[in-house]
Amino acid sequence: MNKESVIIIENVTKRFPVGEGEFTALKNINLQFKRGEFTGLVGPSGSGKTTLLNIIGSLDSPTEGKAIVLGKNISDLSHQESALLRNKHIGFIFQVYNLLPVYTVFENVEFALLLQDYSKEERKKMVMEALEWVGLAGMADKKPDKLSGGEGQRVAIARAMVKRPEIVIADEPSANLDAANTHAILKTMKQLNEELGTTFLFSTHDEKVMGYLERIIHLRDGAVEEDEIIEANIINR
Amino acid sequence: MNLAFQLAYKNLMGAGLRTWLNVGVLSFSFIIIIFYNGLIDGWNEQAKRDSIAWEYGYGQLLNSEYDPFDPFTILDGHGTLKEEQRKNLTPILIRQASVYPDGRMLSVALKGVDVNQSTLELPIQALKESTTAIPAMIGENMANAAKLKEGDEVLLRWRDKGGTFDAANITIVKVFDTDVPTVDNGQIWIPIQKLWDMTGLQNHATLFVANEQFQATNIPGWKFQSQEELLSDLTDIIAMKKVSGSIMYLLLLAIALLAIFDTQVLSVFRRQKEIGTYIALGMTRSQVVGLFTVEGSMYSLLAMVVGSIVGIPLFTYLAKTGIAFPAASQDIGIALADRIYPVFGIQLVLTTILLVVVAATIVSFLPAKKISKMNPVLALKGKLQ
Ligand SMILES: Nc1ncnc2c1ncn2[C@@H]1O[C@H](COP(=O)(O)OP(=O)(O)OP(=O)(O)O)[C@@H](O)[C@H]1O
Ligand SMILES: [Mg+2]
Repeated sequence: MNKESVIIIENVTKRFPVGEGEFTALKNINLQFKRGEFTGLVGPSGSGKTTLLNIIGSLDSPTEGKAIVLGKNISDLSHQESALLRNKHIGFIFQVYNLLPVYTVFENVEFALLLQDYSKEERKKMVMEALEWVGLAGMADKKPDKLSGGEGQRVAIARAMVKRPEIVIADEPSANLDAANTHAILKTMKQLNEELGTTFLFSTHDEKVMGYLERIIHLRDGAVEEDEIIEANIINR
Repeated sequence: MNLAFQLAYKNLMGAGLRTWLNVGVLSFSFIIIIFYNGLIDGWNEQAKRDSIAWEYGYGQLLNSEYDPFDPFTILDGHGTLKEEQRKNLTPILIRQASVYPDGRMLSVALKGVDVNQSTLELPIQALKESTTAIPAMIGENMANAAKLKEGDEVLLRWRDKGGTFDAANITIVKVFDTDVPTVDNGQIWIPIQKLWDMTGLQNHATLFVANEQFQATNIPGWKFQSQEELLSDLTDIIAMKKVSGSIMYLLLLAIALLAIFDTQVLSVFRRQKEIGTYIALGMTRSQVVGLFTVEGSMYSLLAMVVGSIVGIPLFTYLAKTGIAFPAASQDIGIALADRIYPVFGIQLVLTTILLVVVAATIVSFLPAKKISKMNPVLALKGKLQ
């Protein structure tokens, strides 16, 4: 099983200006992620998990080194190109869901498709399918403030998955969820990962989440401390 | 763009009260601006129409000695024209005189008008049909000031050609209603043939009023003032009214725009997470700037709708029934009817809409422009200042 690398991180360093000086959040990181991986970044607060995910999501760019996502060097992309990359190929799941409050569940999920050229019928089909994946087809017309936390995060998963991206980035997706909901959404994501071959990249502190990961990358002070493969969680595909 | 409109519409509807507050203030400005300008335009039209009908005709040929603004020039400012030069002209001879209603003395301008003329709207029929020795007609203001009514006789004193005083009773055969104060206040109209006899100034006129067919030529001793020149004072006064009024409604508009600006600044600040989410979902920053700008300018579009719902019936009603003006405001010195029929022209409405929409778009764009410089990572954290 020799799969291509969808994400290649080469000597990536990220420094933030802080007051007069600089703070180094990532120190010379080298990592590769293959298609279909179900991987988590784990480490104490401030270890650089979010910073690395933001770079991979092309929301930010490295100070030094190269981040190549789906063959594209993040540093070389224009605003338009990186927007297109996110729109078509990368799904985001946030800790606080970030649903748009004035839109219904359906419209929230539909949003990314509106930026592309799908017909109304196609969009409807895709959105309903995505809502079925997360078990919320019956709640399409609800507004986000009527949802429970677990339902909100499942809408966010549907929104990230509806465009069938190559990569899904989930920054602490379970931080606001109870145990039952955490297990539920992880099972859903694991299933989508298996069925659609989507690459999932998490950051987490959560032991329950770690129980599902195939690979755990331990970060500390902006450097990779350990890159651990969890054989038990790898499904033979 | 279409997407921005859809999203903006949803966002505004989702924002509820705040949206309707902005829309309310803005549509109020819309209505006030259109109402005020429509009123002025209506007044302008009415004043011009009445001044032309009652006084100016299609221009006036004035004796060059005569200055309408200097009563002392009345005495010598008159002359005659040759028969062929008088074509398409209605002669008016003005003399200074006094009347004595109830023993009080009132100085008046005694105006002789051709009873066969058809250029001016003066109700000459009454003069023509009367069998009294000196039939006279006056306007309502004059009638009130002199306490005269139709059928009254009053003593008139005037000077003849030689300068000697003469006196006789005149009979008020008609009190007419006009909006043009300059043919009413302090004026007494009698047939010009009578005035010629009374003064010995056969065929003399102070001025001639032209009709539509009149072709202005240079006649020595006379100066021609076109209709536009005669109306220019009126036009100036009304233009001034327009400017002083616009200060009021521009202030109102400024308040409405400030409210939109404020909402936008607040939105850009409060909705950072949302902005970050849009960018994470694949919108470009300029698309987000566009979305927020459209949201702001959509206030003006909604205001247009609300303004139309209130304004169209209101304006249609006002244009039909007119607006009553109290008698006190008649002293303004230019033609002001008791009732003005506002004119809401398509040009007025379109300019107002353009003005409001463009202004709202600009004040929406300015705060939204900040988004293009936002760091999406910080926006997602909601940590921007
Ligand atoms: N824009 C920034 N400016 C300055 N410092 C920053 C910025 N973003 C992150 N940092 C710093 O970089 C370090 C890594 O931050 P990061 O958010 O990646 O940590 P994390 O591993 O995600 O932590 P947590 O588990 O708390 O989310 C932190 O010390 C943080 O303070
Ligand atoms: Mg983090």
